[in-house]
Amino acid sequence: MINYIRSFKPFWKTLTFRRQGAFGVAVALLCLNGASGVIAQSDVLDLDRIKRATVFIMQARQNITAPIITCVGSGTLVSRDGLILTNAHNTVPNANCPGDLLIIALSVRPDEPPIPLYQAEIVQADEGLDLALIRIARTNDGRLVEPSTLALPFVSLAESDEPRLDTTLTIVGYPNIGDDAVADVRGTIIGFTAEPSGGNRSWIKTSAEIPGTMSGGGAYNQNGELIGVPTTAPVTPDSPESTCLTLQDTNGDGQANTSDNCIPIGGLINSLRPASFVRPLLRAASLGLGIEFLTASQQQQETTGSPTFSGLFFAPSVNEAGLPTTTIRSLPSGSTSLYLFFNYANMTSETVYELRATIDGILNPTFGLSPVRWSGGRDGGWYVGTSEQPLPNGLYDFTLFINGVASDSARLLVGPAEPAPSFSDIVFGVEDIQGNIAGNGFVLPVASTVSARFIYRNMVDGNAWAAIWVRGGAEIPGSRVEEAWTFGEQGTRTIRIQAPSGLLPGSYRLDLYIDNRLAATSNLTLAGAQDGRFARIFDDTHFTTADSVEEARTAAAINSFSAQTESIYALFDWQLLAPDTLWTVSWYIDDQLFFEQTLPWSASETGENFVMRITGRENIPDGTYRLELKLNNLLFGSQSARVGIGQLPIDRFSNTSGVQIIGTIFDTYTGSGISGAAIFIITEDYSAADFLRDWNQTQVFAEAITDRNGRFEINRLLQPEIQYSFVIVADGYLPITADGVQVTPDDETLDIPIYLTPG
Amino acid sequence: MTVIEVGREDRGGLTLRQRWSHYLVLIYGVAMLLISINLRDSILYATVPYEDVRAGIRAFYPKGWLLDNEGDYVFRVRDMTRPDFKTTIQVQIIPISVDSTARNLLDNLLLTRAQIFGQYRQYPRAAFQLSDESSATAVNYTFVAGQDDPFLESFPTVVAGQDIVVLQREQAVIVTFQVSAERYDQLYPVFQTFLEDLDF
Repeated sequence: MINYIRSFKPFWKTLTFRRQGAFGVAVALLCLNGASGVIAQSDVLDLDRIKRATVFIMQARQNITAPIITCVGSGTLVSRDGLILTNAHNTVPNANCPGDLLIIALSVRPDEPPIPLYQAEIVQADEGLDLALIRIARTNDGRLVEPSTLALPFVSLAESDEPRLDTTLTIVGYPNIGDDAVADVRGTIIGFTAEPSGGNRSWIKTSAEIPGTMSGGGAYNQNGELIGVPTTAPVTPDSPESTCLTLQDTNGDGQANTSDNCIPIGGLINSLRPASFVRPLLRAASLGLGIEFLTASQQQQETTGSPTFSGLFFAPSVNEAGLPTTTIRSLPSGSTSLYLFFNYANMTSETVYELRATIDGILNPTFGLSPVRWSGGRDGGWYVGTSEQPLPNGLYDFTLFINGVASDSARLLVGPAEPAPSFSDIVFGVEDIQGNIAGNGFVLPVASTVSARFIYRNMVDGNAWAAIWVRGGAEIPGSRVEEAWTFGEQGTRTIRIQAPSGLLPGSYRLDLYIDNRLAATSNLTLAGAQDGRFARIFDDTHFTTADSVEEARTAAAINSFSAQTESIYALFDWQLLAPDTLWTVSWYIDDQLFFEQTLPWSASETGENFVMRITGRENIPDGTYRLELKLNNLLFGSQSARVGIGQLPIDRFSNTSGVQIIGTIFDTYTGSGISGAAIFIITEDYSAADFLRDWNQTQVFAEAITDRNGRFEINRLLQPEIQYSFVIVADGYLPITADGVQVTPDDETLDIPIYLTPG
Repeated sequence: MTVIEVGREDRGGLTLRQRWSHYLVLIYGVAMLLISINLRDSILYATVPYEDVRAGIRAFYPKGWLLDNEGDYVFRVRDMTRPDFKTTIQVQIIPISVDSTARNLLDNLLLTRAQIFGQYRQYPRAAFQLSDESSATAVNYTFVAGQDDPFLESFPTVVAGQDIVVLQREQAVIVTFQVSAERYDQLYPVFQTFLEDLDF
């Protein structure tokens, strides 16, 4: 259609003034009414729109004369009012990136470098997941920006959490910190990396080689939906493997050289943090929701030594509690999953770790992980795994790096293997009189006896085997079983640990050995009072509202709050929960997760009225809120409450599907662009005549004002199958109106020329 | 017999009827002119009534201006045909404490607007009398406005504005007029007419 319109230009010049005027109006209406075939919808990759929504982020620290750039990265606008998704490592102040000012540069022209236009502030961040949501707050001259006045291009997150292998991806970001414009790199999904932080899909691996400054940008599927965030964290500048660029004279010695502060740049990226990790943060950021812990607030764990990895071993699979089913030293040919388990100590969310994998001595990025932030706790057990993809035969070497320095390594053979004695699938429970194990497997009530059942295969009587129970990192005295195997080749076996005075609450581990080799290991949490076969840990979970925490402790429970409620307190009682036991708090609004945190228990072992508070930006948005309390992914407490109408209001500007309309308004006589003309798109409920009679903003679906060249951009996407009306007015020109304008989906943005006649 | 009249003046041949016809034409012409002027004025200065019962505001705003009452104001009208800054009249009500004075309010306005508008400059404040002879405070200011859309190119416009602030019990009514500085004098009568008809 656009070419069709352009072909009319020579013809246009042959027309008289009056005919030009009439023809201009006709062409404009034709363009709008006959828009089929020229229109974009988001079920196709609209790369132009995605690039316009991709921003360059500079973290800087204020200086007397000019800001000093401390870190850079890419980001993506995810709402029209200026919410930007990016990495945490280059935005949240830390040792490597100590800046306190975030400068946002936009690609005003697609083929030119970005221009700094705004400043932003952090609204949500998860340093471990290395994700942050920042919001445009000021223009670059320091003026406040009212979010509702922004109408920026933005992208939407993919609805599905299930990207598939071999899916084609387009990664968009800024390839370096120089003169380059926003760029795109194409690749495919070649695998997934598992971690305890997000299960088997914790990372998406791609064949694309993504420059380090694209970290924080976006990876898109063919529908133009964001499915992941390319993520790598630059290692510390003093590491031998770091890349750090000096751009400014930061020490004021008149020279920009190696003695000045430099900007750390990560290496090539092949890991994407999936969009499913972003969704809760985005939901909380959009709604302005925040959660505060008011009882025994989250304990800040101090690290005293250097971070270390140790005790590497392999498992072919993990159970629902994220624990290894067994341990292996080799894998049979054709296996499709492998997990590397290890212990960690003294880690922080700023620690950068990396896994390098080689097969027969050749580096294989598919089974490794590029340098990323640590998303676990300070001390504990962790795994990195791969699933859903065949492992070629060969000798695998895995090496873990901490801040760019090799830490520990392990070797595994994949190929034809002889059956070996093994233990697997440890399950914990309370034994009944028939010898059956009952309970939920990994969290049991505090009792005097706990049983563990496991499967054994290929055992030979006489094999040396051992079972060791561990609590708090130390072997429980008297719990060790060490003897020769006498129970046959295969079957199940149950062992027990008991203490006449009762086992203490806390985290336990059972290690099983065959011939002094770790054959299987699993964890168990003892917490809460006995409630049949299950544990009752949390009680009296309820919500209330009050003016202070003290008042909240005695206030009556409320399940329905009025709209405009400023804050809500959530309270619960607990029993027999040992300090440092990991527990998880999840908050949902309308069944959609917006907050989840797993943290060590830091209050007393038993108590009443643990208090949390939920707050909104101004008020708590209407909706149905649900609090869930979990241990080891098992639910032990839950409560819901309604606020206002009990449902989130619909955000009429959140739609990223539809048709983008841009264009230029010309004077029919001079052919020059008309500045300051107003373009109104009227909702389907009103006609152009209605609007020209009432001139009421409520009738307006979208509006735009032309710039000095007559260019305009409609700030909302038009939806197919809806009939709109158009009104175009400019001082000194006859207005144009059109009713019944309907757009249909296509693969391009509609760019229309419109001619106005002086009058 | 022939009668010859001597000494009688020739009156130009106009009969009484003709004379009155002339008068009527003149009167008709003047009337038409007045009607035309009136029609022109009623088109140029036509107003539309607006009433907000909850806020207790009744006003007449220029016809053809875009009415918006979805913001944090009672209502706002803008002349969307203007080529540069869209001339705006806005009425806002904000709660104040019993101890607040006009100066406190204007200081707050200054501090807020200085954060939002570029090159915001406020000029000396003056007493102002509304049409119902109630007293108010007027403050004039200027700032620089530009395109909100970062992907479009526009030169900024110098905007001149006036706030009329009236304190009433525990609320303040702020009536704002903002226009391209070039047209301030030309369009100020529109604001004056608006103020004369404003009832709150």
